[in-house]
Amino acid sequence: MLTCHDVSSLVVDRLCDRARGQNTTVTCFYFDFAARKEQSATAMLGSLLKQIVSGMEAIPEDISRAFQEQKRAIGGREPQLLDIVKMLQTITSSQPTFVCIDALDECVAVHRVKILHSLKQILEKSPGTRIFITGRPHIRAEMERRLGGHVASVSLCPNKEDIIRYLRVRLGEDETPDAMDESLITDILEKIPESVSEMYVGQ
Amino acid sequence: MPHLGGLCGSPASIKKAEESKTPAFVQLPEILQPRTFNISSTIAEMSHSFNTNSFNNVSHYSYTVADDRSQLLTWLSPLEPRLRHRDIQERRIDNIGEWLMQTEEFRSWYDWSGEGEGDKAVLFGYGDPGAGKTFIRYRNKDYSWGEKR
Repeated sequence: MLTCHDVSSLVVDRLCDRARGQNTTVTCFYFDFAARKEQSATAMLGSLLKQIVSGMEAIPEDISRAFQEQKRAIGGREPQLLDIVKMLQTITSSQPTFVCIDALDECVAVHRVKILHSLKQILEKSPGTRIFITGRPHIRAEMERRLGGHVASVSLCPNKEDIIRYLRVRLGEDETPDAMDESLITDILEKIPESVSEMYVGQ
Repeated sequence: MPHLGGLCGSPASIKKAEESKTPAFVQLPEILQPRTFNISSTIAEMSHSFNTNSFNNVSHYSYTVADDRSQLLTWLSPLEPRLRHRDIQERRIDNIGEWLMQTEEFRSWYDWSGEGEGDKAVLFGYGDPGAGKTFIRYRNKDYSWGEKR
């Protein structure tokens, strides 16, 4: 129901709302275990850069030059992680940037190490960059270790109102509405959120 | 170098096809032969001028600029996370998780001053992506059996 993906996409939308009319860029990335082969550190960070650049009227000089230069290699040359990080460092220094990364725990471990290291490098050059990451709790220690003292944490457990909203929508989609009367609905909306809250309080 | 095959693999086969066609060409009226030749040389010229333009004179050809821009973006990364965003956005239930934006952790992360030693640039939201859903299903099942625990 309340998945990390939903929270990430909500945060992205709210940040976009607030960024409207300002010189602020919001970028996002969603890790997916099923797409782990394509989601390398270079492609992931490259896609953040792509989102920033696509919102700009003129493509920054260093990126444009790098693109023209690689064409001279036979069959072209893919951008290297180091190049991407340098370009991100430059571009995020010149404009406030939000980065939202969803389900970092679904990223392959070797790439996660590279990504966290790269994010640290970007923050060192551009401390105003804000990064929101979601994931299962077990990657928290790794993140804190790799990102130094930059990390604050918050639990994404659903609250009672979330659970009621979710239940209302799902009950509305019930395929056998005849079996559902008002008192049963009231009963469900009363009892289930209590049990779920109890469960989460224990965490 | 996947593109090499496309560019260099064909000359041998073209040559072979030309050899087999030669007798047919000989029998064609003479006027047709120069035309065939001219078309290919025109294509070569066009492709040459296109390349020159896209490298040096982009500003004169807006379609080339747009083409070059999209090529550059794809070169930066073939991935399209914004499509995935739109997908999740459409399925999301309104207002769920909205409270996060009101938490102290989120506010102090968002309202950055850009300086200070204790500044936390990274906010980690942790949770188990599947737990809520599984649990609700489980409870529903319990409920219909009348076996509340």
